Amino acid sequence: MNGYVEAGYIVGLGTLGIYAVSLLARERAARRRLGLSPVPSSRARPDHAGARRPRRGVELRERAAGETVGGRPEADGPQEQA
Amino acid sequence: MLRDAWLVAGKDLRIEVRSKVALGQVAPFAFVVVLLFGLALGPAVGRGSVLSAAAPGLFWVAVLLATVLAVQRSFAVEAADGAADGLRLSGLDPAGVFLGKAAAVAGQLLVLELFLAAAVSLVYDRHLSALVVLAASCVTATIGLVAAGVLYGVVSMGARQRETLLPLLFFPLVAPILLGATKLWGEALAGAPGRGSGWLELLGAFAVAYCAIGVVAFGPLLEEA
Amino acid sequence: MSPGAGPGGGRGTAVLRVLGLLGLVGVVATVWLGLWVTPPDRFMGNLVRLLYLHPAIAWVMYIAYGIAFLSSLLYLWPRTRALAWDRLAGASSEVGVVFTGLTLVTGSIWGRPTWGVWWTWDPLLTTTALLFVLYLGYLAVRQIPGEREARARRSAIAALVAFVDVPIVYFSVLWWRSLHQPPTVDDPVTGKTYVHGSMAWTLLLSFVALTLVYAWLLAHRYRLAALADLEEGEGLELAIAERRAEAGGVPARGEEPAGADLVGAAAGVPDPGARGPGAGR
Repeated sequence: MNGYVEAGYIVGLGTLGIYAVSLLARERAARRRLGLSPVPSSRARPDHAGARRPRRGVELRERAAGETVGGRPEADGPQEQA
Repeated sequence: MLRDAWLVAGKDLRIEVRSKVALGQVAPFAFVVVLLFGLALGPAVGRGSVLSAAAPGLFWVAVLLATVLAVQRSFAVEAADGAADGLRLSGLDPAGVFLGKAAAVAGQLLVLELFLAAAVSLVYDRHLSALVVLAASCVTATIGLVAAGVLYGVVSMGARQRETLLPLLFFPLVAPILLGATKLWGEALAGAPGRGSGWLELLGAFAVAYCAIGVVAFGPLLEEA
Repeated sequence: MSPGAGPGGGRGTAVLRVLGLLGLVGVVATVWLGLWVTPPDRFMGNLVRLLYLHPAIAWVMYIAYGIAFLSSLLYLWPRTRALAWDRLAGASSEVGVVFTGLTLVTGSIWGRPTWGVWWTWDPLLTTTALLFVLYLGYLAVRQIPGEREARARRSAIAALVAFVDVPIVYFSVLWWRSLHQPPTVDDPVTGKTYVHGSMAWTLLLSFVALTLVYAWLLAHRYRLAALADLEEGEGLELAIAERRAEAGGVPARGEEPAGADLVGAAAGVPDPGARGPGAGR
């Protein structure tokens, strides 16, 4: 072709690839710090780090699922101050 | 709301009268910028020279730079000695605080623009004409500038790196003002004011939009900063 | 927008994997069709192949900012306020900034051989460049420390402030240009009346593929944000949660915020049906 086309594809898709890999790596690192299994799995895997501490994992999940600010009076409405 | 705005504006202007930071530092900085452009694009002046042709744009870039400093100063005053907490607890209407701070900065900037315009006219050798158009664009553009600036000023007040954050937020946002005001000035100085008459309306729309956002959003932002 | 995972964390992951796989296959197919199968264009020659990439990236950029804006609004609206929306806004803008950068770069690479310049002050280009810095600023605002809800509200307002600017910027640049000379650059998509057959299909595929890629990136970025929030709240909350679990009670669930499915996916623990000991008792 002519160099420009190749450059465009390499830069475009390469950047997206690097970004995707960096997201996965950051996610993995965050999971490790939180003591979750490094890869979220579809099934319970008893041999995984996360499964060894199920209570904590479940709590974290429940907490994440129940997380909302709407119910808290001090966090209501941006106009409330006025 | 307006009474509160009056109080806050009076307070900020009194601080300026006593501390003379805008007079002693912001205004000289703007003149330095004008001189630097002269060094970079000079030394030719007068009809047909780069400096003369670029005078409207250079004037407005200098105003933009000065606006950032003025806004930073306006919030540095609040950052010291927990003054922001006092402002939050004062019971003043946050919309009034927004309008007051914006009015104080706008007042300082308008005076600065007056002198800056004279300086640009003198050192770039560009005769000022169509003064009504120039003044109208100054007022409208300045309202938009300070509304956006004060809004982002309070956003970045909580940041540790606010000196670097504010310019990054502010300059892209006010790019339309730079375009519009420069165009208006260019046309006015070229002796054909009003050729692209949509610009003043654009500046006005910007000013109205950001004043409205500021009036509504300043409260929650101030609460958190 | 986001993968339609159920409340089970596990299913979210499975859906996400399929999504990622589909996106990858789509991109590979686009590259194959775009670089090898489709013929060179009559006027543009091989350069037309860049058009299987650039418009789709720009399209994703618009979607990303649109979603970021909508979720910011949903956060500000008291009835729908939930941190999930803030995370979605942050995730979508970050992905959007990446795609904006790529729009500029791939556009520039296309522009150099086509127009002979790397850059032209075309309204669309200028607006895109300003959009890039505007949203970089927004991402910087998100980094300002503070209480979690305070940060979310500040970010939502900043997103609003930035978004309102976009049409003003676009029209001002349009006028600015048109006063000098008519824009010389036609929109690459609308300017193409000669697209047909395999070229049209490839173009369509590229839009679908990159949208899938966007959805995958968004979901993963969202998870990362959810994990970061968990991490931030670790200390005290974790201790309380563990004490509660020791007492044997499963804590009552709060109202599920919209998008809680993704939050569930974020923690990624075993499926509720098959979870380990210590829960469900």
